[in-house]
This record gives sequence, structure tokens and C-alpha cells, in this order.
Amino acid sequence: MGDKTLETEDIPRSVINEDEPINKSLTMLPWDRFSNWIHCACVVTFDLELGQAMELIYPGHIKLTDKEKMNICYLSFPDSNSGCMGDTQFHFRIRQCPGRKPLVRAHSQYNRDCPVTLQLDDAHYYGFVYFRQTKDRSIRRGYFQKSVVLITKLPFIALFNQVISIIAPEYFDNGEPSLEAACHDIDQWPLPVPGDTLNLPIMGSVIQVRLSCRSDKLIGSVPPKYSQTHSIPAHSILPSIHEVDIYSSFLSILPHVQLLWELVLIGEPIVVMASSPTITCNTVQALVNMIAPLKFCSDFRPYFTIHDSEFREYTTKTQAPPPVILGVTNPFFAKTLQHWPHIIRIGEMGPLGSSPKLANKVKKAAALKTLDSNPGVYTRYKSFLTKDKAILKRLMKGSQLKRPVEAQNAILRRHLLELTHSFMIPLERYITSLMPLQRNISPHKGPPKLRPFETEKFIETLEQSGPQLTSGIKGDWEALYRRFFRSPNFEGWYYQRQKEVNQKLQLLHLEALSNANLSEWIADKEEVQIIDLILKIKDKLNFATHNHGLVGKESVSRLQKQLEDIVSTLPDDLQSVIKT
Amino acid sequence: MSMRDVKVCLLGESGVGKSSIVMRFVADKFKNALESTIGASFMTKTIFVEGNTYKFQIWDTAGQEKYRALAPMYYRGSAAAIIVYDVTRETSFHAVKGWVHELQRHGPSKIVIAIAGNKCDLEDLREVREKDAQEYAHEIGAIFCETSAMTAVNIAELFDAIAKLLPPEDLLGTSNQMGGGSTVNLRNNAAKKKSKCCSGSDTEAASQQPVRRSLSTPRGSSSVTYPS
Repeated sequence: MGDKTLETEDIPRSVINEDEPINKSLTMLPWDRFSNWIHCACVVTFDLELGQAMELIYPGHIKLTDKEKMNICYLSFPDSNSGCMGDTQFHFRIRQCPGRKPLVRAHSQYNRDCPVTLQLDDAHYYGFVYFRQTKDRSIRRGYFQKSVVLITKLPFIALFNQVISIIAPEYFDNGEPSLEAACHDIDQWPLPVPGDTLNLPIMGSVIQVRLSCRSDKLIGSVPPKYSQTHSIPAHSILPSIHEVDIYSSFLSILPHVQLLWELVLIGEPIVVMASSPTITCNTVQALVNMIAPLKFCSDFRPYFTIHDSEFREYTTKTQAPPPVILGVTNPFFAKTLQHWPHIIRIGEMGPLGSSPKLANKVKKAAALKTLDSNPGVYTRYKSFLTKDKAILKRLMKGSQLKRPVEAQNAILRRHLLELTHSFMIPLERYITSLMPLQRNISPHKGPPKLRPFETEKFIETLEQSGPQLTSGIKGDWEALYRRFFRSPNFEGWYYQRQKEVNQKLQLLHLEALSNANLSEWIADKEEVQIIDLILKIKDKLNFATHNHGLVGKESVSRLQKQLEDIVSTLPDDLQSVIKT
Repeated sequence: MSMRDVKVCLLGESGVGKSSIVMRFVADKFKNALESTIGASFMTKTIFVEGNTYKFQIWDTAGQEKYRALAPMYYRGSAAAIIVYDVTRETSFHAVKGWVHELQRHGPSKIVIAIAGNKCDLEDLREVREKDAQEYAHEIGAIFCETSAMTAVNIAELFDAIAKLLPPEDLLGTSNQMGGGSTVNLRNNAAKKKSKCCSGSDTEAASQQPVRRSLSTPRGSSSVTYPS
């Protein structure tokens, strides 16, 4: 290891790291690695004439549209009334303006292997904000108010919260060179490859984190043990790249967790109101994560303001509220969103370990007039499932025993995961039954497709093999499924499954084609039919190059051989046409 | 056999060859006229010394003045600091003293300091006498050697020497110092150490960095000297 030599003559100096194969990075340009992780860093300041204004975008060549800039500026400051003195951290999500370049290659590769819930979304950016407000007499306004923001497509909430909490204070102390240094560090980070444990250097320390991958076991998995040698102070290990403290976020509304799970599952419009963006963003993120491993497919805004470019679209009263989850802090919303069916009001986070005042009763939405109302869930929604009281008792007991928050989180997360699994297993089983049979895959016909999903047929399967097999929770599961079928979450899940199954069928078909005795088959065929077959094989080989890694090398070379053999049987003039 | 992560930072004036030293050590390469470093570059390299494995996490800091204020991030938590000067530039040697003072005042209490006089292949242009630098290193209890990243003189030896001088108690990696509390303690220790240095007690510094003499003779024009 110590004497490892590097073969390349001209090594870009940012990649001198013995842990990585060097040659894979040779085609990298400056900022390529940075762009794999972060779109840009911004500094937003308060200008007496202009209000919030973009002071700096780094690296300088990054372009943001005026609309994106405006959204970033407004969302990087807490709403006026919250009086956040000191440092405040939160994150937001904005729409990317259309007409941009498609995903970079590292991102499509990442998306292919990561859990669907952690896929990055081409149409949105996250912004991770570190806002500082201090009294400063030397400034005319009397206050120093500034935010450092990281703009990225990756949904790595925990990681970027950590990163911005390292970068921003240094920036406030030492100015632009520190931002430059931080971005330069990120420009040395390895590719975000699902399943890899990465060491990410940032401003003199190293963050170690593992990226989840799709094949990770979800239930009963033990978090990977890290070796004990990483004990120097400058080396921190992040237990998860994306998870938020779901338990603390729901603490004041814990009795309603299962009801909230239903609302999120069926894609109902939900607004979270709190006094600080830190609270709203954690709660919104916790809601979205509740239905994992199912992907939440609607829009969600951890922090949303009246200046947001989607403000009108989302608050209009002429249409039913959109199926989105919003986090708001401006009291103005109490009125604007009064007509929303489900409102969650979160109070201040109490000191750790103090027993929370539980909002036990669900309140009618109309009861919520102002933001000063008590914490609770305001809705007319009646849950389809009966409440699981055992989990609540367990969590309450844990809170009395001052069980660590991490343990409470693990219990709650596991409970929700099992609930979602119980809900999804019958659906997965039904999808499997829609697969065509192996014997229907013929090399001489097109690849078969997944048969269509019929809701009534599915409902019929519930009696025999419904969620009752894996969950003790009673209630009207059937009605819950029917509501789920109308939600974007079902649509997203079904689309994903269709895609996966059809890809799998393509593979099996390719396999069948490569194994078939084609020269025998073409013996008595017309030229036209042979050409047809050639085109079909070329199509398959094309599929293989687009999905390499999935298709076995042997099958591909067998198929290539088949193609050559068939082409060679054709008359010379035709051969040359086909080869071009 | 134990495995140990060692954070090391390189400090020193712009253009003295910090990045070249690191590139020679990590990749055994040399490039004329490297572009100047932005902020800092991070690299790792694992070596074996006396049956132990050391994984160096190297923070190669930028020498330009505008990055000067960022230095504490890099020496914070460092087990060792290599202060580099250019033997052909007198001013770069004066800058070494500034770094030593800063480390003694604000750096981790047990930090191993190494002083490297780089570009020793340019004998004709020499402005700093080896003897002067050596005496200074001896005075402050630092490892000293003259190096050449270009001809690979004393580069590996420099890191070997650091590995050998790391305080042994941390070798097991049992101390799990994280969070702010330990930082405060480290600062306190640093303050104490400083006051002792001022009272002229040289033995104190020596006892903190035990000298082991079982060293192989390094190749190159001159050898690495250990603090005594």
C-alpha cells in the first residue's frame, strides 16, 4: 500500500489519493467533481435598498436564472417575525427553471443504484442555509444579517447540514477565501457511488459517510460498524447521509403519527406551521421520509414563503389544494391556507428529555385561526386504520426513561417501515403475478410486457394475502388502498415497477435470442424476415450498451456472433448496406 | 500491529514547495511549476514504520497570504505539522518562526513539529545555512531536515521521522476526543506548555517527545535530525 505507484504521467493534483484509482479521474475538468455534489454556493445578504440580495455565487461560472436567484434570496432568510438572533440552520427546495442541461453522468449512475427515495430529481434543487444575525452598530440597519447557502440536487439532508455548519462560520470569520477553500475541497470528493463508504475532506476535517444503495436490507439491518481507529478529532462519522431526527420532529404530535402516515401515503395536501424554518424543514422532511421505502412523489417544500414563485399556484382558492407538503413560518399563511384540509402546528422544541405536552385530540381545521394556536393536527380526516397504541406506549416509556433520541428514532422508524412494508407487500406480490411466464419469452417474437394493473383484481387478493398477514393493525385497508391508487405515490411506484419489469423482460429476451439457433431458423426465411431479425438484434445490442452492467458480457458477445453469422449469409451488396 | 490515522498539515510561505513535497511523497512524482494551491489540498498515504501502519491524512495548505487566516482549520487536530521553507530564500526561513510561534500558542499541545528546508538541490543559490536552521530546530524541539522534492531527497525520511516521534499513548486510538470539550482542554494544555517554555525548561519539551535512536541511516546528502 505504502509503495503504491501511479502510472499516469500527468496527474491532476486534486486527485492524488492512494485510495482511488487515478485513471478514472483523468478526464475530469476542474469543477467536474464539485458539480457531482453541489451546484453552487451562494452568499445572500440584506441590502437596505434592495432587501435580500445575492452577494456572491461560487464558483463564478455557475449560472442561475433570475427566478432561481430570487427564490434562493427569499428562502435563505427566516421570515421577518421569527426574530432569529444568532445562527439558524434550515433547508429549502425550489424548482429548477426548465431548459437546463440534463443530469450529469455521475448523477444518472447514482440514480440507477440508490434507493428510490434518495434519487435526485432533475427538476428541483435543495438549498442548505446557514443564517447569521447579530447586532452590529457599524451597520446602518443595526444588524448583521447574512446567509451562506449550498445549492444541490442531492437529497443528502444530514450531510449537507453538517457541511454548511462547517463552511458558513468560517466564511463569516474569514470571508471569500474560506468559501474558495471549501469549494476546492469539495472538488476533490470522490464520486457519489451508492454502497460506498466515502471520506470527504472539508476544511481541515474529514467526514466519513456511507451512501445507501438499493440492495441494502431495510429491516433487521445493523448499521455498519466503523473501525475504531478513526478517533482523531478531525474525523467525524455521519451515521446517515439523509435522515432527520423524525422522533423529535413529531414529539408534540406523536399520537397522530399513524394518521400522518396515512395522509402522506395517499398524497394529501399538508401544511406545517411553526415559528422557525428549522422546525418546519425537519418536520416536512420527516413526513416525506415516513413512507420509505416508498418514494414520496409529489412536491414538498421544507420551507415556503409568500415570495416563492409558486406561491399563487399553491395557495389559490379557486382550485382544490395541490397534493403537496409545505412548511411555513409566516403568520400570513394561517389565513391564506385556512382552507387546507390538514394543518400541523408545531410548537417550540422543548429542552431534551422534558416530557412533551401531547396534542392528543385531532382538531377541526376551522379551529385554527392564527399561528398562536396550540400545537396539534388540525384535520377532519378519519383514519382508515385503528391506532397502534403499543408503539405509542413504548415511545412514551422511552421518553420517561430518558432513552437516547437515536434509540427512539430507531424504534419509530422501524415501526413506520414495517407499516409501509405491510401495505406494500400485497402490491408487490400482485405485480409479480402480472409477470408473463418464462415460456412466453420467444426469440422469434417481441419481448412480452407486464400485464396491466387491475385494481379490482388486486382488491380480490386482499382477503387471502392482505396486510393482515404481516400487521396486527385493524381497519379498512381496502379503502386505504383505493385512496392510494388515486395518489401520485401509487403512480410513481407503478411506473417504477413497470420500468424495472420491462427491463428485466428485455434482458431475458436478449438472453433467449442469444441462445437460440438462429442460423437454422433463417434457413427457410425470406430476406425481408432476416433483415427484420438483424434489426431486432441490433436493437438488443443497443439496449445492452445502454444498460451495461445489467447484461452479461457472454450473452452480448454470443449475440454479436449471431449477428455476424447471419449477416454473412446475405448477398454481398446487402451486407455492405447493413454494415454502414 | 496497530493502524493509526495521522492528520498532518504543511505550512510555509508561498512557493517553497509544500505541494511538491506532498506529490513526491504520495505519488513519487515531480512537476516543475505546479499551479498555486487554493485553500488546501487533501491527500492520503499509508506507510509502515517499525511494524505499525500509519495512514497520513495530509492537508497541504495554500501559502498565499489571503489564506493565512484559514490555517487554524488545518492544524486543529493535527498530530504533526511540517513547516517548509526554501533554502534559496532567506525570507521564507524567517516565516518559519512565525508559524512555530503560532503553533506553540494556538496549536494542539502535543503536535510534532518538523522543519523542512526544501530545494536543497539548488546549492548554488543557497541563502539559508543548514547549520542555522538546524540550530533553530534544535532549540524549539523540532525534527529537521533539508529536502528536495525534485530529487526525492529526505522526503520519505521526513514522514518516517514524524511517524516515529508521534506520542505513543495515542497509538492505540483509544482516546475518542470529539466535540468542543476536548478542544478547550487542548487549549489549556497549550497555554501551560507555553509558560513552561518561557521559563527556559528544555527538558520539559524533550520529555514530551521521547527520542528513539533505533533509526536507520537515511539516504540523501544530509540526514534527518530529531529533537534532543
